[in-house]
Amino acid sequence: MNKLLNELQQAAAERETRRHFLHTCSTGLGAMALSSVLSSCGFFGKGNPQNNTVGSAPLPGEPTAPHPSQFVPKAQRVIYIHMAGSPSQLELFDYKPELAKYNGKDCPQALLEGKKFAFIRGVPKMLGPQGKFAQHGQSGAWVSDYLPHLQGVVDDITFLKAMHTDQFNHAPAQLLMHTGSARLGRPSMGSWVTYGLGTENDNLPGYIVLASGGKQPDAGKSIWGSGFLPTVYQGVQCRTDGDPVLYASDPAGMNRDVRKQTIDAISQINQQQYDDVKDPEILTRIAQYELAFRMQMSVPDAMDIKSEPQYILDSYGVDPNKGSFARNCLLARRLVERGVRFVQLFDWGWDTHGTSADGSIDIGLHTKCKESDQAVVALLQDLKQRGLLDDTLVVWGGEFGRTPMQENRDGQVLPFMGRDHHLDAFTVWMAGGGVKKGFSYGETDDIGYYGVKDKVHVHDLQATILHLLGFDHTKLTYQFQGRPFRLTDVAGKVVKPILA
Amino acid sequence: MGDHWAYQSVKKPDVPQIGTLWSRLGITANDETDWAKNEIDHFILDKLKQDGLKPSPEADRATLIRRVSLDLTGLPPTEKEVADFVADKSADAYEKVVDRLLKSPAYGERWTGMWLDLARYADTKGYERDPGRKIWRYRDWLIKAFNQDKPFDQFTVEQLAGDLLPTPTDDQLIATGFHRNTMTNDEGGTQDEEFRTAAVLDRVNTTWDVFGGTTFACIQCHSHPYDPFTHDEYYKYLAFFNNSRDEDVTSDTPTLRFYKPADSLKLAGLQHFIASSIQNPKQAQASVNQVTHLVRTIEPKINSHDFDQYVNASLLDAKYFGFQDKGSCRIKNVTLTGRPRLLLRWGTKATNATVTIRQDKLDGPILATILTPKPGKDTVQMVPLPPVQGRHNLYLSLDSPEKPKDWVQIKWVAFAPILPGQPQNAVGEKDQLLLDLLNADVEQTPIMLDGSGDLARETHVFDRGNWMVKGKRVTPDVPRSFPAMDPKLPKNRLGMARWMVSREHPLTARVAVNRFWEQLFGTGIVETVEDMGTQGIQPTHQELLDYLAAEFMDSDQWSVKKLLKKMVMSATYRQQSNASPELVAKDPFNKLLARGPRVRLSAEAVHDQALAVSGLLSHKMYGPSVMPMQPDGIWQSPYDGETWKQSTGEDLHRRALYTYWKRTAPYPSMVTFDSPSREFCQLRRLRTNTPLQALVTLNDPVYVEAAQNLGEYMRNHGSSPEQQIQAGFRQVMLRDLPPKKLAVLVHLYRTTEEYYQQKPGEAENLLDRPGFDCKKVSPQLAALTVTANTMLNLDEVITKE
Repeated sequence: MNKLLNELQQAAAERETRRHFLHTCSTGLGAMALSSVLSSCGFFGKGNPQNNTVGSAPLPGEPTAPHPSQFVPKAQRVIYIHMAGSPSQLELFDYKPELAKYNGKDCPQALLEGKKFAFIRGVPKMLGPQGKFAQHGQSGAWVSDYLPHLQGVVDDITFLKAMHTDQFNHAPAQLLMHTGSARLGRPSMGSWVTYGLGTENDNLPGYIVLASGGKQPDAGKSIWGSGFLPTVYQGVQCRTDGDPVLYASDPAGMNRDVRKQTIDAISQINQQQYDDVKDPEILTRIAQYELAFRMQMSVPDAMDIKSEPQYILDSYGVDPNKGSFARNCLLARRLVERGVRFVQLFDWGWDTHGTSADGSIDIGLHTKCKESDQAVVALLQDLKQRGLLDDTLVVWGGEFGRTPMQENRDGQVLPFMGRDHHLDAFTVWMAGGGVKKGFSYGETDDIGYYGVKDKVHVHDLQATILHLLGFDHTKLTYQFQGRPFRLTDVAGKVVKPILA
Repeated sequence: MGDHWAYQSVKKPDVPQIGTLWSRLGITANDETDWAKNEIDHFILDKLKQDGLKPSPEADRATLIRRVSLDLTGLPPTEKEVADFVADKSADAYEKVVDRLLKSPAYGERWTGMWLDLARYADTKGYERDPGRKIWRYRDWLIKAFNQDKPFDQFTVEQLAGDLLPTPTDDQLIATGFHRNTMTNDEGGTQDEEFRTAAVLDRVNTTWDVFGGTTFACIQCHSHPYDPFTHDEYYKYLAFFNNSRDEDVTSDTPTLRFYKPADSLKLAGLQHFIASSIQNPKQAQASVNQVTHLVRTIEPKINSHDFDQYVNASLLDAKYFGFQDKGSCRIKNVTLTGRPRLLLRWGTKATNATVTIRQDKLDGPILATILTPKPGKDTVQMVPLPPVQGRHNLYLSLDSPEKPKDWVQIKWVAFAPILPGQPQNAVGEKDQLLLDLLNADVEQTPIMLDGSGDLARETHVFDRGNWMVKGKRVTPDVPRSFPAMDPKLPKNRLGMARWMVSREHPLTARVAVNRFWEQLFGTGIVETVEDMGTQGIQPTHQELLDYLAAEFMDSDQWSVKKLLKKMVMSATYRQQSNASPELVAKDPFNKLLARGPRVRLSAEAVHDQALAVSGLLSHKMYGPSVMPMQPDGIWQSPYDGETWKQSTGEDLHRRALYTYWKRTAPYPSMVTFDSPSREFCQLRRLRTNTPLQALVTLNDPVYVEAAQNLGEYMRNHGSSPEQQIQAGFRQVMLRDLPPKKLAVLVHLYRTTEEYYQQKPGEAENLLDRPGFDCKKVSPQLAALTVTANTMLNLDEVITKE
C-alpha cells in the first residue's frame, strides 16, 4: 500500500514537474542554465532561430533526458581512448623509411629554425623508426610490430595521419584536444555531447571517465569538466578502487532496505514540503534522490565485470581483480551497452622522452603497447559482434605527436631512446559510427615532420566527431558572458572525406 | 552602445511613493505603508503593483532568524538564539539579531567564502604539476577585512594595489595576494614568459569581471562586438598590470617573507644599527626602509631565465639558468651606479668552481671572481663590486675543472646597498648579518610588486590576442567610453585602482551591490552578475540598483555592513517564501519578489550547517588550510607526489572555507555542490540539483559522522522516539515537525529499530567510529542515527527558506 502510494506520489510529482517546466520555459534551473540555452536557441520565442543551441532544448528538471540532435546522426555514442603523454606515431603508424637513413645524423638547421620544443635544445640527432613496419589487411594500412593485434583489424579503421595541434606541453595540449581551448575553463567534449544529446539511461551518468596507468592525465579533471555548462554535464569519473562513483556506497551498517526506507521518508516529507511551499525545485530534488538510489545499484552493476564470461575476460586480457586499461576497455563496452553517451578513457604513461626505461620508445612504448593492444582490438571486435560498432564511434590518440629527432634534454645524451613533443604531425584513428572502414587520410613528409597533404587540426577532429553525432559544430553553442561559445572556438571544419 | 544604462555614472533616483498622503504622514493606516520597512520596499512594491501582485507576509520568527543567520554568517542560529528572538517582544528585536550577526566573527568567514571564488583562491598553483602554494594569509586578510567592515573602496584598492600605497603595511601587501592567486606553470619545458603573460591577462580579465561586471576579456583578441571597448584599450589597461615582478618562476616570487622570532630580532638589530649610524634622520629612515624592503622581499631581482648568449649552458627544465665548465652567459643592461653589492642565489653540484664576472665583454674588465658555494642547499651569496657608473652588460663565465659536467645553477641576481661602516671590497660583519637574513628559513606569501628602471616593461598590443605577435606600443590608460582618470592620479596600478572606486565610475558600486543582493535573494537585480554590459540580462529593478549603489558610495561610505543591513532589514527580505500556485504561475523564479527567497544552500553552508547542528563544528579561525576526511585516490598528481594528509583534532571539523583547495583535484563534495575549481575567477555559481549531491549528504563519511553525532544528541534529549526526533529536528531546523512529517520519521525510526534489533552487528557497524564507546551501541541509537541521516537530507534542511 505504502509502495503504491509512493508511486502515485512520484507519478504526480513527475507530471507536475514536467508541466511546470513546459509552462515556464522562459528561464530555468533556477540559474543561468536554461535562460542561456534559450536566449541562444529561440525555441520559446526568444533569441534567433538560426542560432539553435541543441536539437531540442533540455528541460530544466531533466537536463539529461535524451533529446534529438540537429540532424540524423551516424553515431549515438562515443568511446574516446586517450593515450595521455602521447604515443609516438613514428613507431606505430607513420612509416618513414627515409628517416632510418638519417638515424644518428645531426638534425638539419632548416628543421630547427624558428621552432620551439619542450625539451630539445641545440642540435639534436635524427632517430630512425624503431618498429618493424608492414602493410596489413585489404586496405594495406601500415602498422608496426608494436601493435600485432591491431594489425588484424585495420580494415575497420580510418587513420588520420596528418593531425596537428597548437600546443607542445601536455596539459594545454590535452585541454585543447578535449575542450577546444588550451586555457582552462571551457566545457569538455563529453559535456558538450551530453548537453546536446542527453543520456539514454537515466540510471547512469551520461558521461563517464575511466583512468588507468596509475595517474590522472596531466591536465587534471578540467579535461572532463563542464566549464561554464551546468555541472550536471560534467564527466563522472568512475574509479577502479573504492566506490566506482564517489559516495555510492551506503554507510557501513546500512543495507539497501534501510537506505530505501530513508529515501522514501525523504521523498514523502519533501512532497509534503512541496504541497506547502510550491517550490518546483523540491520536485526535482525528489526525482534526483530517487535517481541517486537507482545509481547506487546501477553503477556498481555496470562496473562489476565478474559477471562477464571467461572468454570475454580472456579476449580483453582482463584480470578482474585489478584495475587496468584492459579492464577499462571492457567497462567502456558495458557502459555504452547500457546507454552511456560518452565514455572517456585515459591511460597515463605514453610520454616517451628517453629519460628512463619506462619513458622510452624502445622499452616503455613496447610495454604500453603490449598492455593495451589486445584490449583495444577486443573492444572493437566485441562492439562489432554486438552490433554496437555501427553507431558507436571509437577514437584513439594522444594530445600531440613526437619528433623525428632524438631528444637531447639540457644538451645531454639521454640514457634511452626517446622523442620530444611534436605539434606538427601525429596520428589519430577512428572506427565505427559513420567513418570509413579501412581508410587512411593525410600524409606527412618523408621524415614525418610536417603534414603535407590532408592535414587535420584538433578543431577539425572535434567538428567531425560532433558531425557524426548529428551536430553542426558551429551551432552547438552556449551563451556565456555575452557571447555564444562552442567546442571548436572559432575554427574547425568537418573532415568529409572520412565519412562513410 | 556607450549610452547603455550601466555605463552611465550612478545618479540617485527618487524613491517611489507608496500608500496615501495621510498614511505617509502616519495619520491613517494603509497596507502599503504598514508593510514597507525601508526604501527598498518602495521600489519593490511599486513594481509589484504594476504587475498586480501583493507582497507576502513576514516569515515566522524561527524561519526568519535561520534565513538571516545563514545569509550573514553562513551558519544556522542556535536553539537559544531562536528562543530569545521568539520571546523578544521589543520593536527592534529583529534589528538586534541583525546587529549581533554583523558583529559575529563568523560574518567575515561567510563573506570570505564568497570572495574566494572571485579571487580564484587556491592552495595550489594550477596547471599540470599543480604543486602547493602558501597564500592562506590572504584568506586571513579577507576575513579580517570583512569583519572590520573595511570600506569597499579601500578593500578594492588594497587588493589591487596595496603594494603601491605609501610605505605599505604587511596587511596591505598581503591584500595584493588577490592577484597572486593566478596560476603559475611549473611543468617542465614551459616558457615562463608565456605563463607570466597568461597571469597578467587573467588579472586584467578578473579585475573587470569582479569589480566591473563586464566581459572585457572579449577584446583581448578583437574589438568588442557589443560593448564600447576597442582592442587596443585592452592592452592599455593591461599596461597597468604589466610591470609586476612575478615571472612564473617556481619560487612564486615576489613574496613577503616572515622570519622566525630570533631572525626578526636580528632584523630589528640591523635596523637599529643603520638608524644609529646615519646622522641625517631622513637619510637614516630611507636606508632602513631600503634594507627592510630587501630583507622582507628580496626584490627587485633579475630572474635567471632572462640571461642570454649561452655557451655550454642551458635553461634547465626551462626554469633556471645553469652552466658547465667553460660555460658563460650574459646579463644585459644592468644599472651598476650605486650598487656596491651583488647578490646571487646558487644551486650547484660542482666543487671548487669559480665564476668570473666581467664588464661589457666576455673578455672585458673583471668585476669579481667568485668561488661557488659548497654543493647542497641553495645559497645566497654576496659579492662586493667595484664602483661602476652606468648601465652595462655583465658576462659570467665558469671554470669547473673538478666536475666539468656538473651543472652550476644561478636562480637570480639582485643588488644590496653597502651598510654603514662596511669595507668596500669585502663582506663585513654587518653585511654578513644581512646575508644571514637573506639565507634564513622563512615562511612566505606571494604579493604584488612592480618593477622600475631596468625592470620596467613595455606593453604592446598582441596581434589578435597572440602574445607572440607584438603590435604597437601602448601606455597605461582606461577605456575612452568611461570617465577619464583624474589627472592627479598616477598612471600606475594604484591610480587605476583609485579610478575603479571613483564616484564617477559607473560599474564598481553597481556590481558590488548586485552581487551582495544576489547572495541574499538568490538572483541578482541584474541576473547576470558577471555581465552588466549590453549582452547581460536586463535588470528587474534598475532604479533600486542605482539607489542602493548611490547610497553605498555616498551616505554609507562604501560600508558593506550597512548595505547588507539595509537589505536584510527590508520587508522584502523578511517575507515568507511560501507561494500560492497562482504566484508560482505568475512569477516562477521570483523575480518580482512578491515572496521571500528560497534557494539551496551554498556548498560551504551545506557542509558547515551539518557540522554545526551535529555539534562537531570547530569555530577556530585563520591559519593554513586543513584536510578533513576525503576518500582515497582523489589526488593523483603525475609528478609532485603530494598527498592528502588528514588533519587531526579540531582541524577535522573546520568551516569549509579552510579546506585545502587543490585546483586540479578540488575537494569533491564542494565541487558536487557547484563550487568552481578556482582555476579562474568565477562570478556566479550555477545552482544545480543532481543525484551526486544526494550521494554526498547521504553517504559521505563527513555527513555520516554528523548523523552519528546528531543521533547521540537525540538520544540524550527525550524519552520517547517522538520527543527525540522532535529534539533533533529542532536542533537542525529550529522548529517543531508538523504531525504528518513527524509520523513519517517515527515510522522510519520504528522499522529501522526493528531491523537493528534483529541485526545488532549492523548497529555496531553503523555507529562505530574512532573515539566511540562501543557500550553505547543500541538498536535505538542506530535507528536515531538513520533518522538523523534522513533529516540532514531533507529539502528544507539544505535550503534557505
